[in-house]
Amino acid sequence: MDAESKTIPVVEMRNIKKNFAAVQALKGVDLRLNHNEVLGLVGDNAAGKSTLMKVLSGAYIPEEGEILIEGEKVHFTDPLHARRLGIEMVYQDLALANNLDITANVFLGRETVARQIGPFGVMNSHMMEQDAQRLLERLKIDIPSVRLLVERLSGGQRQAVAIARAMAFNSKVIIMDEPTAALSVAAISKVLELVRELKAQGASIIIISHRLEDIYSVSDRLMVMRNGRKVRDCPITESIDEFREHVVAYMIGARDDFAVEEVR
Amino acid sequence: MITAEKLPRSFSVKELVKTQQHNIREYGMYIAFVVIIAFFAITTKGVFVSSRNIGNLVNAMSYIAVLAVGMTLVIVIRHIDLSVGYLAGFLGAIAAISLKYWHVPVLPTILMVLVLGIVAGLGTAFLVAKMKIPAFVATLAGWLGYRGALQLATQSTGTIIIENDVFNALGNGFIPDIFPNSSMLPGIHKVTLLLGLLAIGLFVFGEIRNRRRTQSYNFEVPPLNVFLLKSVFISLVIAVITWILAKYQGLSWAAVILILVVLLYMYITTRTVIGRHIYAVGGNPEAAQLNGISVTKITFMVFGSMGLLTGLSGILYASWLRSASTIAGAGMEFDAIAAAFVGGVAVAGGVGKVSGSILGALVMASLTNGMNLLGWDISIQYLVRALVLAGAVIFDVATRKKAS
Repeated sequence: MDAESKTIPVVEMRNIKKNFAAVQALKGVDLRLNHNEVLGLVGDNAAGKSTLMKVLSGAYIPEEGEILIEGEKVHFTDPLHARRLGIEMVYQDLALANNLDITANVFLGRETVARQIGPFGVMNSHMMEQDAQRLLERLKIDIPSVRLLVERLSGGQRQAVAIARAMAFNSKVIIMDEPTAALSVAAISKVLELVRELKAQGASIIIISHRLEDIYSVSDRLMVMRNGRKVRDCPITESIDEFREHVVAYMIGARDDFAVEEVR
Repeated sequence: MITAEKLPRSFSVKELVKTQQHNIREYGMYIAFVVIIAFFAITTKGVFVSSRNIGNLVNAMSYIAVLAVGMTLVIVIRHIDLSVGYLAGFLGAIAAISLKYWHVPVLPTILMVLVLGIVAGLGTAFLVAKMKIPAFVATLAGWLGYRGALQLATQSTGTIIIENDVFNALGNGFIPDIFPNSSMLPGIHKVTLLLGLLAIGLFVFGEIRNRRRTQSYNFEVPPLNVFLLKSVFISLVIAVITWILAKYQGLSWAAVILILVVLLYMYITTRTVIGRHIYAVGGNPEAAQLNGISVTKITFMVFGSMGLLTGLSGILYASWLRSASTIAGAGMEFDAIAAAFVGGVAVAGGVGKVSGSILGALVMASLTNGMNLLGWDISIQYLVRALVLAGAVIFDVATRKKAS
């Protein structure tokens, strides 16, 4: 990757608007994600952060606004389309099939086919197992065997598998929706470690979380949303206490000095 | 490091047990099957395991086993199909009418019935996947409808006797032998013997090749003695069955059809993308959809295959009885569902193997056959089968709970 392409943000969303019936969920939101950056996205419930991410992952189509991936304008039609263009979403409920093993889940919907017999693609199981094993090793995820069924994994291990899946196919952006919710303290620190590992390996990540300390510990930049608008967007430089105080003030609307024109 | 427990990467017994936990249910079933066979072999003084009886047993179970294969996949994707019994009966009647009154040759008749089966299956899928009607209700309507259709088709004639020998051979006939009168191995069906040897050869070859390939990809394989024990055991089972069948009239056409169906479906479910997607849809439909798998498409395929196998089952049944009656197929759906559950298919979906359901069908058929040989009253037979079904599911649930 040359220096020039690094200056172009990997994702740029401009003036995104999305309505649900009479409710304006997104009132013209901008978002910028630079290469190899971890962007923390916070906001109270119904602030619009999940809606914004669903627009980016192709699940929702916005009424207005444009999305640029590495400087190229795109119009997502569905999540698969976004995925083909390198946008991977790690869903809060993980979207794993617990009855299948780790390999099957990593390759779910994207199985490696050895040959085609009529309508039947014959899977190259050994190749997929080997690739899954390498992926786990590369991400330093310590699970004894890729043949373990997901139902036999702990919550943290499942989260790791879901994240590994997002990394499996040369993705450009990984969106994580509450990756540390419903995990034990030990598992949370492991997931955060994994996020740092992904960044060290060059991934660009957007992470949604209610846990401000998690955002603080892994993110380079923070974006706060409230009532469908962006109310703060700045690098994380303060101490954790200052950070928390500021963020909460913006989240609940005690401070609202961000230079945004009210959208009409 | 994302790990709850530190386990060595190298092979260990603990790890084997952990990875094999989900197979323990299956081994339990094999053991139960062997016990049942041993019980009837002893109590009937060997009649149960006689060549003639085993041959009949296979013919009498084939039409249920074929349904059980299809039903396995239907239950795996969290649905049920109650309509298959009377649909099989109705399609068998269509076959009989086509042969007897329309004078259509055997092959076109069979093809037509199979196509009709697929159409019926797709109809069910339409109700389930598109109209969002619960499969239980949609197929209950099918159960009523096909029952009516069967009576309508056989109303004017009553039971239709099928006089076509080729058609009737499917459910009753045996594969031809080479040199039946040669002095070598008199009274032994040599083609069956050769096929048995071929099967053992292919099995051993496949196992060795798979083990080598697994090793070449640096994955651990079971220890050599476990591998040898398993291979020798399964080869022996094939050899014994082959010998028993060869001593009578050899392999029946119904057995050949059943074996082909089972091999095909085992291959599809374990080796192909569609098979993987069927289990993904059963395990977590939302996850499957999010990962680009069309749940609707899979539903259509699974019910379509169920319809195809129902057509085949109807053909085997009509051929076996050499007729189509007004009540053909009654209760077959429940035998197929019971076979699947005895074979370890989970009610909640996502779990269940084709091989397990076949074993389940074999267990249930062996019970019926053995108890008939012993002259047990039909009331007792139902009670025993009820206990076996309940016991199998209790064992299944208990081992599953332990595993998780």
